[in-house]
Amino acid sequence: MSHANGRLHLWAFLQGIGFFPGGWRHAEATPEAVFDRAYYERIGRMVETARFDAIVFGDQLQGRDAAGRTPGRLAIPTLDPFTLLSAMAGATDHVGLVATVSTTYNEPAEVAAKFAALDYVSQGRAGWNIVTTAHPNSPWNFGETQLLEKSLRYKRAAAFVDAADVFWGTASGRKVDRTALKSDWFQIEDTLDFAVPPQGRPVLVQAGQSGDGRDFAAKTAEAIFCPAPTMEAGKAYRDDMRARAAELGRDPDGIKIMPGLALVIGGTEAEAHARHKAVLELADDVLCVEYLSESIGYDLTQHRLGGVFPIDDIVAHCEFPAGDVGKMLAPAVDAGTSIKDFCQAYARKPRGHGIFVGTPEQMADHMESWIDAGACDGFTLQPGFMPLELEVFCKEVVPLLQRRDLLRKEYQGPTLRDHLGLGALT
Amino acid sequence: MYLSLSIDLAPEEIGAEGFKSFTTRLRDIDAAAPDLVILGGEHDGAVVPGRIEGLVNLPWVAGQITRAALAAALPALHGLPFHVARALSAIDFVSGGRAGWLPVCANHVAIDRAYGAAYAITDTDAPAKYDDFIRATQALWDSWDQDALIIDKARGDYLDSTKVRRVAYRGPYFSTMGPLNAARPPQGYPLLVRDLADLSGSSKLPADIVLVGAESIAEADATIARLREAPGTAGAAILLKVGGALPLEAALEVAGADGVHLTGLPDARAVAAARAMLPTTAGSDGTARARFGMAMPVNPFTQKALV
Repeated sequence: MSHANGRLHLWAFLQGIGFFPGGWRHAEATPEAVFDRAYYERIGRMVETARFDAIVFGDQLQGRDAAGRTPGRLAIPTLDPFTLLSAMAGATDHVGLVATVSTTYNEPAEVAAKFAALDYVSQGRAGWNIVTTAHPNSPWNFGETQLLEKSLRYKRAAAFVDAADVFWGTASGRKVDRTALKSDWFQIEDTLDFAVPPQGRPVLVQAGQSGDGRDFAAKTAEAIFCPAPTMEAGKAYRDDMRARAAELGRDPDGIKIMPGLALVIGGTEAEAHARHKAVLELADDVLCVEYLSESIGYDLTQHRLGGVFPIDDIVAHCEFPAGDVGKMLAPAVDAGTSIKDFCQAYARKPRGHGIFVGTPEQMADHMESWIDAGACDGFTLQPGFMPLELEVFCKEVVPLLQRRDLLRKEYQGPTLRDHLGLGALT
Repeated sequence: MYLSLSIDLAPEEIGAEGFKSFTTRLRDIDAAAPDLVILGGEHDGAVVPGRIEGLVNLPWVAGQITRAALAAALPALHGLPFHVARALSAIDFVSGGRAGWLPVCANHVAIDRAYGAAYAITDTDAPAKYDDFIRATQALWDSWDQDALIIDKARGDYLDSTKVRRVAYRGPYFSTMGPLNAARPPQGYPLLVRDLADLSGSSKLPADIVLVGAESIAEADATIARLREAPGTAGAAILLKVGGALPLEAALEVAGADGVHLTGLPDARAVAAARAMLPTTAGSDGTARARFGMAMPVNPFTQKALV
């Protein structure tokens, strides 16, 4: 990859209102704006001016309710990723646009057509974060009662991507293996006539953690979004993925490892910590109880929040697997911790992702040290709340990264493949 | 009279130059001030899903065509209501309430083959699946009340939990639990457009806008009189297809028509010429519902709560 493209890649993960469950209540957060086109156009331009590779939207295929009750204090604007990225495509020229889409509750023909459309309207900037959907309530929205077992979901995902690639390859005149249209999972007779995707197909992104997930990512992914709470964990993961890719005959540099990183920036270290504390405190007891309720599929708000967990009722009725839920709550049950105290602690956990709290200079140091250690190829930033934390990063940290020749000063090409240094599809 | 047309990506509009010409084409059409732009192709004068997927294309098009209502033509027999309801919610928000949808059965055999063996369906069964698809999608929009969102930072109230619910829709082809993980669209439901030449043309589910063809003024008069009484079309804006057997000049003499739909994927010049010939539109800029003078749909769950 050319030096001018930089050795640090930045992605902006923009689902909802930000990383912290109570962040939407911050005085400078703009929770209403996420329903407006102007907001997406402005954020898209801001991220592009800061020379990020891409914007990513996560996705879910279930209502946000626990046992039928939708939280009242959590901000949950899960707008359709394709829609937001398509709106942003019209306001930007370079930044990549990555949509999270499941291979379990979709068909290759439709997903191929949608990414061809996104790649066309963005002129070569589409990426697909391939997920298999693990939430137990998702099948209910698609006429099914149970999730497909995990290893089968990954088998379907592999067959799905291969089949979708036949659609893209056919549309763009690339040589493809048409036998992939028929598999244990799909009996496709023919492809569709649709817009030629300028990149040939979207950049393939994955977030696999388990053995099945890592195997799939090593074979398929061109970039990986993963949690990495420490530099050591990041390095171990990156080394493993690069080794797996090499074993499969792939160039390890063809997979960019992009761990999530939440951030709270302050002018001084003390100010940053004060900001972090303030945003955590915006999550009140009920909000935290709703947050855990959603994570176990059981409505805890119907119980006295100062009381202990009604564990027998929970494991009998929770929507997530009872064994997992029981294990998760066991420390609270054993210690007699109250519902609200446990939930407060739970809502502050970073879900496996690192949280950086400090000054712009410290953040640039942090990022540089990870790159130097081979712990990642860049970061998927998860702003604490939107849009302020991202604005501060773009204004205060990006110039430091550019001065250190970590981050590109100019885009080296128009496509997401160019930003990732992937070269043209063959 | 309302003015409608379809646009689709032409096969030669590829590469950077092709993209530029597509963009210019859309802006020129915007300047010609149509009331409705359908994102879809055409086959024998009937609407078919376009060469560029309509739901993904629409939010981008909304940045080029800035005032007209925009309806995505999409396969009614292949899409999944959860995805479609979800996308159209976001689309309605980011287009300022200008969204519409035109589910069709047209071209279904080719699409069946691309979706796979499980999707094969006969023309006889297709209309029932179309109805089920519409009902399931609308049920998911009903999983949220129009005023469910509160967004009060000081009080910490984001939404009213009593205004979001599971709907547990069960139909012959689709079942879906809900709630949708997306708010009810600003228009309640995006406008439902129906092409009466489609296999779905005889549906009894109320449409907001219908496209109807006729070979003569007399036939158009008779057809429109019948549609004004029929359950699926009684409250709809009726747009007469012109450009084939019926020229635009003749359509102007059809008293009952609310507007015209220009067939043949016209260019901007043809749209501007038609605009100049048509009497001024009664509707206004703003949401698609406001433009076409349609009332907001009633949410049956909200109604129950009020009783």
